[in-house]
Amino acid sequence: MPRLNKRASYLTLLLPAFIIYIGIIIFPILVSFGLSFTEWKRFKMTGFNGLDNYISILTDPVFQRSLWNNVQIMLISVLGQIPLGIILAYLLHRKWVRGTKFFEFMIFLPVTISSVVIALLWNRVFSPVGIYTTFVRMITHNPDYVVKIFESEKFAMIPVLLVLLWQYTSLYMVIFLANLQRIPSSVFEAALIDGAKESTIIWKIVLPALSTVIFTCSVLAISGSLKSFDLVYAMTAGGPVNYTYVMALYLYQHTFTFHNYGKGSAVSIIIVLLSVGLISLVRGIYDKAQKKFE
Amino acid sequence: MDHRMKTISHGWTVTAYIFLIIFTLITVLPVLWMLYSSFKPMGEIMMHPLRLPSAPTLANYRKAFEYGNLVVSFLNSVFYSGISTVSTVLLALGAGFALTKFGYKSSKVYFGFFTLGLLITVNSVITPLFIMETSTGLYNTRLGVVLPYIAFGLPMAILLSTSYIRGIPDALIEAAVIDGADYVQIFWKIILIVSTPVMATMAILTFLGNWNEFLMVFTLTSGDNMRSLPVSINSFAGRLNEDYGLQFAALVVGTVPMFILYLVAHESVIKGFGEGALKE
Repeated sequence: MPRLNKRASYLTLLLPAFIIYIGIIIFPILVSFGLSFTEWKRFKMTGFNGLDNYISILTDPVFQRSLWNNVQIMLISVLGQIPLGIILAYLLHRKWVRGTKFFEFMIFLPVTISSVVIALLWNRVFSPVGIYTTFVRMITHNPDYVVKIFESEKFAMIPVLLVLLWQYTSLYMVIFLANLQRIPSSVFEAALIDGAKESTIIWKIVLPALSTVIFTCSVLAISGSLKSFDLVYAMTAGGPVNYTYVMALYLYQHTFTFHNYGKGSAVSIIIVLLSVGLISLVRGIYDKAQKKFE
Repeated sequence: MDHRMKTISHGWTVTAYIFLIIFTLITVLPVLWMLYSSFKPMGEIMMHPLRLPSAPTLANYRKAFEYGNLVVSFLNSVFYSGISTVSTVLLALGAGFALTKFGYKSSKVYFGFFTLGLLITVNSVITPLFIMETSTGLYNTRLGVVLPYIAFGLPMAILLSTSYIRGIPDALIEAAVIDGADYVQIFWKIILIVSTPVMATMAILTFLGNWNEFLMVFTLTSGDNMRSLPVSINSFAGRLNEDYGLQFAALVVGTVPMFILYLVAHESVIKGFGEGALKE
């Protein structure tokens, strides 16, 4: 009886979570995989078409541009947000300034605001009556200045990237700060007494101590940048033309505007594969770097 | 030596102040500008974009509440985020208890399955999820939003709960078993009580994530009465809206609830995010 009781309790505690999780995440992924090989016309599945969806997606210039834009988002996340986050965390951690709690509180604020609000706010900031535009007009004495970068085929992503930097840098700052606080303060003191330079402290103590969490953050940043949708949708909706299209928008368009569920699913699978591939790549780099340090 | 160190750290202090102050201004100024502009009429925003309101007015808010469907959306957001956060936290603690303290071999497999979910994003399942919900009648219902919210909250929550519950001494549970308590009682009376610190972290991360979520409500609901705050704000105050005052008011309404929570609980919020990524 107690044995049965234990097994039953185990399942009672575990299964509700497991069933919801399997039903809503794992099962649909499998369905997605199957659907990605099917052809759809006017809301109806008309049969299997092998790799046609994948081929038509990968050869579509709009998808290629989306992919490139996602790569840019990834680069700004991994090479912008994370290093800036480390710098901010370090400046706060060394207690060179007073009011570290105040700075932390203020800088973290954007993480609590929804992407939609952030997108619309920054659209206003860059608009002809925005603070950015007005400010530039004041310094340059050019009352007709307007932000034109949005229309640029090459650089239309730049405002989006800057906003992403604004939105998420402090998330990494907070994560790194929490980890810096786990380094015993005696380590810093000993280094300072030995007359170690700040750069030595950073390279020999801080970065090795943070290496694992830098890896975790990179994984977070990569999977986050491949899924970005809200901010881009609310800020530019992929426009003008398709200059700021991202993969998730491309997916949205095929599934919800054209009701081509086959093609939409194929985009999903491509995103999953990219995500797994890139994370394994980062994992490999991390393992190599670990070995070098040891 | 001492003197040299002082000048060096003095230099760093100045650098740190400059860097942090610039960063803080860039962060806060747009938000402040949004806040005070929401009290200006459209004409004044056009004429003097940076000036503080000369005669602050609530007209923008009145209009925003009248046409923006904001009250219903706010209540929906509270419902979606609240129900799914409570469910996610309870389910994750239950699963965390089962996976760490029962010693079954299958635990590892289950745990592996759950952590796999950390890599899966909403857009990789949204197409089949949409088809499933339209064919089962869950589309455009509150349950149809809450269930995916719970599912997507579980992987991170289970990661946090297992690593915390693993640290609870087995003796505590064994003593209760000897006293004749069954496992479900142990869960309610011991695990839940002992786990309050991690519960707070889980609840904050889950709630904030759900509150600001956009894609699922946007694609899995259609009626105005089902929309959450971010979705309503986007359709009401979106890019095509030309009344800036009204738009600012709506954006402020979208920001204030979370800001109040942040103001009250910023220590736990910052701690939650800082520690959320630690647990590996």
